[in-house]
Amino acid sequence: MAMSALLEVRDLSVRFDVGDAELNAVRGLSFEVAEGECLGVVGESGAGKSQTFLAALGLLAENARATGSVRYRGREILNAPRRELDTLRGRRLAMVFQDPLSGLTSTLRIGRQLEESARRHLGMNARQARQKALEMLETVRLPHPARCLDLYPFELSGGMRQRVMIALGMICRPDLLIADEPTTALDVTIQAQILGLLAELRRDANTSIVLITHDLAVAAGLCDRILIMYNGRLIESGTTREVFGAPRHPYTAGLLASLPSLATDPATDLPAIPGQPPDAMVTMRGCAFAERCQHVMDRCRNERPVLAAHDGRHAAACHLLSP
Amino acid sequence: MTAPLLRVESLFVDYEQRQAAVFGSRVTALRAVNDISFELWEGETLGIVGETGCGKTSLGKAILQLVPPSAGRVLWRGVDLASADPKTLTRLRSELQIVFQDPLSALNPRMPVGEIVAEPLRVHSPELTAGERGAAVADMFERVGLRPEMTARYPNEFSSGQCQRISIARAMITEPKLLVCDEPVSALDVSIQAQICNLLRRLQRDTGVAILFISHDLSVLRYMSHRVMVLYLGRLMEIAPRDELFEDPRHPYSRALIDAMPNADPDRDPLDMADALPGEIPSALDPPSGCVFRTRCPIATPECARTRPPGESVSASHRVACHHWREALSQPR
Repeated sequence: MAMSALLEVRDLSVRFDVGDAELNAVRGLSFEVAEGECLGVVGESGAGKSQTFLAALGLLAENARATGSVRYRGREILNAPRRELDTLRGRRLAMVFQDPLSGLTSTLRIGRQLEESARRHLGMNARQARQKALEMLETVRLPHPARCLDLYPFELSGGMRQRVMIALGMICRPDLLIADEPTTALDVTIQAQILGLLAELRRDANTSIVLITHDLAVAAGLCDRILIMYNGRLIESGTTREVFGAPRHPYTAGLLASLPSLATDPATDLPAIPGQPPDAMVTMRGCAFAERCQHVMDRCRNERPVLAAHDGRHAAACHLLSP
Repeated sequence: MTAPLLRVESLFVDYEQRQAAVFGSRVTALRAVNDISFELWEGETLGIVGETGCGKTSLGKAILQLVPPSAGRVLWRGVDLASADPKTLTRLRSELQIVFQDPLSALNPRMPVGEIVAEPLRVHSPELTAGERGAAVADMFERVGLRPEMTARYPNEFSSGQCQRISIARAMITEPKLLVCDEPVSALDVSIQAQICNLLRRLQRDTGVAILFISHDLSVLRYMSHRVMVLYLGRLMEIAPRDELFEDPRHPYSRALIDAMPNADPDRDPLDMADALPGEIPSALDPPSGCVFRTRCPIATPECARTRPPGESVSASHRVACHHWREALSQPR
């Protein structure tokens, strides 16, 4: 596949200053997002998936520090000045958040929020922007789009608000849409609608999508490629088929096995992973998953495995693979 | 067959909502649970599934009398809880327990977890000495997979998975016969969900406790339940044994829920999902006439707007409320 990298992340770390301690949310992460692809970033709470992309867009909290490199089309954007980022954010790189209520301004009508983006980034006049806003609400198939332009966010249901968030993210036809748990707060049938909508937007506008989620099944449904994160690090990456069909890391394999599906035999216990995800405050010398791993060896506790590709793209950070 | 532990007969739950009007305010009723009947047997898990506003939480709470039902009966081993006097209700409460979705907010942050788990015993078994209570708590901690020496710690020292174990210990310490689990794994990390599912199933095997398992997640629900009940806007759409419901659903809404389930299958085209079930869930304040599901139903007819479909028996243990359930099964998808 000859796809060029749209976003290139190298050795990205995010640290939070919390009183007299330091919290390592992201620990030396490297990956790429290719043009037109849909990349799933999967992990449990505290794995560092959201902080990675907040850092890339310069949206970290005050007490956070990001180091490393994030290049957008070859241009360094990590810790870039705000004025420079403002020409990219919303225009080229857009983000859709889990909770659409906090992602929308609650005191502005839906139409106004969409128009602002069109006027600012696309240089449209008021009439053009209004037209564009209406078009976008039609694209995301919001019922009664013309009427919705004059509503406030609280007047819409959760699913409708998420559609507005996606419309807002897509209005400037960004190169990359980062969707952070876009369906977590939604009902199952509405979730299916939103995932279908993202797939459509990608097909029609060739937008790259990063889908941040804790839900493996949601990622499998939409993404071409999957990154599995654990304790701030990448522990497995590959195509969706590779990662779900033949997981290499015991954590990925364990997660997939422990998820009940329609094929699970209800008469047997679920093969659960023991223990719990590690704390971002603690840095382990070896593999962060060692304490929960059924294949743990002495080496795992002392030496951190590196993410090594063994047959091209599919890679996992595990000593089992490099004895 | 023996008598059921629990028999719910035509249960209704209404919430009053005050809405601003030109002068003062007016009160409108939101019917959260609308004419629901079912039975539950010892040692059985009945799964309750549905989307926002379907009444699954209200139903669980109404059974435990945590919200008062506005009509209908909740027969617990022959006693109607809805009309029981407070004394009888308090006595029976030791047999009826609940586990909530968010484990941290369900535990008093200022109480050591051992005290939290011991509290139901203080109420329901006041004859126990402090030593006996302590021993019971230590034993319960072990049964839910926690170390007994953790009893002196506070909830904030535990992870959410451990807090859910503590909630379960508190619920199980009175040896209840019914456990209502309201989304018990939804707030937990994926790798912790399986642990809690296994724990609940083991406790059920050991004690025979009946479980009402409320969840929006069909995969988890299928794994946990012997029978499944599907609710929509406060009404019962379908109730059937697990395999019958998943392999041969007769209600178009059950079908749609199963089709909308995300599954870790990379061969599935996400574009197929966009129209799995179009439209939004209508407001419970103004539910559609006739069949409440008709506004989103792919096979709705004018008949569906006119009359409410009665619950019909597909088989002895399979009930469905759809005018077209006989045709629904022949609809290819």
